[in-house]
Amino acid sequence: MKNLKLGVVPLVLMAIVCLFPAHAQDKPALIVGAIYIGSVNDYGYNRSMKDGLEEMKRNIPGLKLIEAENVPETAESERVMENMIQQGAKLIFPTSFGHMDFALNVARRHRDVFFYHPGGYKVEQNFGNFFGKTQTAWYPIGIAAGRMTKTNKLGFVVGQPIGYALGNVNAFQLGARSANPKVQTIVVVTNSWSDKAKEAAAANALLDQGCDVLAMHVDSPAVIIQAAEARGAMSIGFQSTEARRLAPKGWITGLGFTWGKFMTEVANSVINGTFKPGFVRQGIDEGMMAVAPFGPAVPPDVRKQVLEAVDKLAKGFNPFTGPIKDNEGIVRIKEGEVWGNDKMGNFDWYAEGIIGKAK
Amino acid sequence: MIATLLRGVLAGAILSGTLLLYATLGEVIVERAGIVNLGLEGILLIGASVAFAVASVSGSAYLGVVAAAVAGGITALLFGYLVVSRKANQLASGLALMFFGSGVSALVGKSYVGGVIAGLPKIRVPWLSGLSWVRSSTLFNWDILVYLTIPVALLAWWLLFRTRWGLGVRAVGENPAAAYASGRRPQLLQYQALFVGGLFGGAAGAHLSVSLTRTWNEGMTAGRGFIAIALVIFSKWHPIRAVVGALVFGGAEALQLQLQARGAQVSPFLLDMFPYLLTLAVLLAWGGARRAAAPAGLGRTFYGTE
Repeated sequence: MKNLKLGVVPLVLMAIVCLFPAHAQDKPALIVGAIYIGSVNDYGYNRSMKDGLEEMKRNIPGLKLIEAENVPETAESERVMENMIQQGAKLIFPTSFGHMDFALNVARRHRDVFFYHPGGYKVEQNFGNFFGKTQTAWYPIGIAAGRMTKTNKLGFVVGQPIGYALGNVNAFQLGARSANPKVQTIVVVTNSWSDKAKEAAAANALLDQGCDVLAMHVDSPAVIIQAAEARGAMSIGFQSTEARRLAPKGWITGLGFTWGKFMTEVANSVINGTFKPGFVRQGIDEGMMAVAPFGPAVPPDVRKQVLEAVDKLAKGFNPFTGPIKDNEGIVRIKEGEVWGNDKMGNFDWYAEGIIGKAK
Repeated sequence: MIATLLRGVLAGAILSGTLLLYATLGEVIVERAGIVNLGLEGILLIGASVAFAVASVSGSAYLGVVAAAVAGGITALLFGYLVVSRKANQLASGLALMFFGSGVSALVGKSYVGGVIAGLPKIRVPWLSGLSWVRSSTLFNWDILVYLTIPVALLAWWLLFRTRWGLGVRAVGENPAAAYASGRRPQLLQYQALFVGGLFGGAAGAHLSVSLTRTWNEGMTAGRGFIAIALVIFSKWHPIRAVVGALVFGGAEALQLQLQARGAQVSPFLLDMFPYLLTLAVLLAWGGARRAAAPAGLGRTFYGTE
C-alpha cells in the first residue's frame, strides 16, 4: 500500500507538468556551440572569444549560442561537445588550442557538424583552422616596447612554450630591436596557460631582474599587468584590448583579437551550405586583430612609428625574413628565406637578444 | 649578480611561502589531534573564493580574509562531523572534502570571476624598506598576513606545547583512549583542533586570492594544499619547523622562475619540476627518521564511548 502511495506522487507531478505544454519555439537559424577553457571574464583570450561570438550573434538574427566555460583540454571536452550536438548545434568553436584533437575526434564522428578551431593546424572536410597572424602582429608592439623601455630589458611571460608562442616572442624582440638596438627580452615560462599564482611570481621575477615593460602570452593578462602596475612598470596587453583598464598609468599598447567578422562569415557559410574548411590566418588589416589604444604615457612619435609598422605589415612586410640568427648564434632563417604563415608553429628557438631557453 | 638572485628568491619565497605556512600550520594542529585532512586543498579553495567574493562585495579585503577564515573553519567542522562523529574513513573523507571544496568554491566564485579588487594593502616597514639592497624589491613591503606569519607560527607552537588545551590535543593524537581515561573528551578536542586548522586554511586561501593574485579562478590553488600536507611531514609536525619548510618550498618555486629570468641554460620544463623534486628529496631524507614519528594515533578512528 505504501509503495502504491509513493508511486502516485510522480504521476501527479507528471500530470501537473503536462498541464503546461511547451509552447512551440521558433526554429533558430543556426545553433552554434562554443567551449571555453576558462571563464569569459578574464580580460583575456576567453573574453575575446566571447566578444567575437556575441558579435556573430548580433549579426545573424535567430542564431542561438550554447556555451560552456571552464572546459578542460581533456576527453571531458568531447562529452561537452557531444552534448551540444545533441542539442542541435551544427557549428562548434572549440576555442582553446588544446581542444584540437578532442574536437577532431568529435568531428570525425559527426561529419554533418562543422568545426572551426583557433590556433591549431589540423584541417579536415568539416574541420577548419583559424587564428590571427599574431606572430607578425607582435612586431609593431615590440617597437612600442623597445621605444618606451628605460632599462632596455623587456619581460615576456609565456604560458606554454608552443611554437606559436615562441614566434610571438621572436616577433616582439625583432620589432623592439629594430627600434632600439640595445634592447633584450627575458622570457619566463610558467608551463600553464592559466596559473595565476605562478604568473604573479613570474612577473615579480622579471621585475626583480630589472625589466620595466612586461608582455605576455597567457590566457589572461590581468595578473601580470596588475603586478607590473603595482611595481611601477609598464605593460603590454594581449588577447583582449580590454586589459588596458587594469593599468591606467603603465599601459603602453596591446594586441587584441576581434573574431566577430570571421565568425559571422563562418556561421553564414554553414547556413548557406557553403562551408569551406581552411587554414585561415588573418591579420590586423583583415580585421581579425586590433592594436589596442595607446596608454597616456606613450608619446606621439612612438605612436606614429608603431602605426607605420602596422601599415608596412598590411603591405606585405614579413619580419621573419632571413638572415635571422637565434640567441646562440646559429642562423635559423637563411638569407633570402621567408617564414610564412604555415611555418609559424615551427619555432623552437629564440631570436638574438632574447634571454631564455626554448626547450 | 648573485645578490639579485638571492634577493629575488627570498622575496619570492616569502610571498609564495605565506599561504603554504598558514595551510601547514593548520594541518599540523589537525594532525597532532590524530586526524589526517587530505581535503586541505578544498579548504584552501573555499577560503580563496569566499575571500574574493566578500572583498568584491564589501570593498574590504580584510573582511574577506576574516570571512574566508570562518568559512574554512565551518568546512573543517563539516569534515569533523564525517570523521569524528560518524567515524568515516579519514583518507576517503578528506578526498571527498577536496572535491566538495573544489565545487563549492567554483559556485561561490562564479559571479565574481574577472572582478577587480584593490586587495590587501601593502604596509611598508619604514627604515628597512628604504635600504638600498631592498628598495626595488617587494621585501618589507607586504600585506598584514605576511607580517603575521611568524607571530602566528609562534602562537601555534605556544598553543600546542604550552597550554593545557594543546596538551590535550596532542594526547588525543597519540592515544585517544588514554586521553579519554584522563578525563578529556577526545571528540570535542578533535572538533576544536579541526576548527582552528580550518581557520588557518581559510586564511591561507584568502592570501592567494586577495593578495598574491587579486583574482579568482576555478582551481587556482593548483595543488598547494597537497604540498602543505607534505610540508607537515617535512616539519615533523612542529609549527616552527613548518616555517622553514614553507620558505624552502616557496623558495624553490621562486628559484626556478628567477633562474629562468636570468637566462639559465636549463630547460624550463626541468626547472618547473624542481619544487616537487625538492619536496620528494626532503621527504626521502627526513620522512622515515624514528625520532620524527607522527602522532601515534594519526589517522585512526577512536571508537571509545562518548
